[in-house]
Amino acid sequence: MFKRPSSRRRTQPQEVMVNLVPMMDALVTMIAFLMYTMAFMSLTMIESPLPIVSSSENEQQLKERPLQLTITIKPGEVLIWSPFELVPSVSVPHKGEQPDLPKIHETLLGIKQKFPRENKVILVPNDTTPYDTIIGLMDAIRLLEKTDPPMSAVNPETGVDEQVKTLFSDVVFGNLLGSGESS
Amino acid sequence: MSRTNIRNRRSRKKIHKDFELQLTSMMDILVIILVFLLKSYQTSTNSFTSVPGIKLPLSKSQDNPPDSLHLIVTPEAITFENQRIVEFVQSPGAIDGGASLSYEFRDEDLDEGGLRVVRLYDALNRAREKAEVLRAKSEARDADGNPLPFDGLIAIQADKRVKYETLRKILYTAGAAEFRTFRLLAMKQE
Repeated sequence: MFKRPSSRRRTQPQEVMVNLVPMMDALVTMIAFLMYTMAFMSLTMIESPLPIVSSSENEQQLKERPLQLTITIKPGEVLIWSPFELVPSVSVPHKGEQPDLPKIHETLLGIKQKFPRENKVILVPNDTTPYDTIIGLMDAIRLLEKTDPPMSAVNPETGVDEQVKTLFSDVVFGNLLGSGESS
Repeated sequence: MSRTNIRNRRSRKKIHKDFELQLTSMMDILVIILVFLLKSYQTSTNSFTSVPGIKLPLSKSQDNPPDSLHLIVTPEAITFENQRIVEFVQSPGAIDGGASLSYEFRDEDLDEGGLRVVRLYDALNRAREKAEVLRAKSEARDADGNPLPFDGLIAIQADKRVKYETLRKILYTAGAAEFRTFRLLAMKQE
């Protein structure tokens, strides 16, 4: 005796239709909102303080012979020097008409390894230096590349050895107030 | 003739009855777009926008500029807080981005040995005074109960072809008006 086949097999499976329209509406609304509020132009900034006119406190600091690393852009070369001769002066010739940024960065990296706590640099561009070149040079002066060797310095406040995250982060325009070389 | 027409109409109706819009593929596309937008989504906390006619330099810096007073240097003029303050000397071809962009100030616009831009100094001074009045009226106070000091921040959005000679005069003028920190804006280099 055979059993009677199940009625389930005979009935066709019922087609279930998911209503995607409300989900579509939600997605379209979300995409519209995201595109409306999105910032397509990504701006960044480089902060530079106004140079301070010499005061008694500064004079005291000058007695201690600070590094006062100075980068002077001259026609055809960039000069890296210290007024107190704590580092030997280095002249980096331009590559074409632009400063040789990798070479400048490499030179500064060597100086940073000797003075890991130093963050200040005085930048002295000449009158014809374009803004584009100044920004490029400031990047080479301020930022550490991923390929740069890791550096550490002892934090005088905590006494803990900390990783150095920037090269010379504080860039001040040296000839802003009328003194120094500008052309 | 009329019978064939009726048949055609019936068959057309039949097609319409069975027709269902396939939304699955469209959903897939929308989900992909949504994922891409969420991945690359970034909002801006400032009101700085692109200015037609100026090309910003590229920078690897990752600092997002917060909102502050805004100075724009275009090939034609200097704009401070959406007000045109000083116009440069125009040379032929300067507007359409030719090589002859001068960025030179008129002699009557300069003083202090050609370093300070007079009208810009006046505009910056007015902005500083306004900020100081607002801070005096504000309830925010320092530890001694005095109004918070003027922050002296200014964001400068300049064309990448601007020469340091021009930039120096602008920074000197801002310094003279007691703006002590300059935020040089650039396009983020990924």
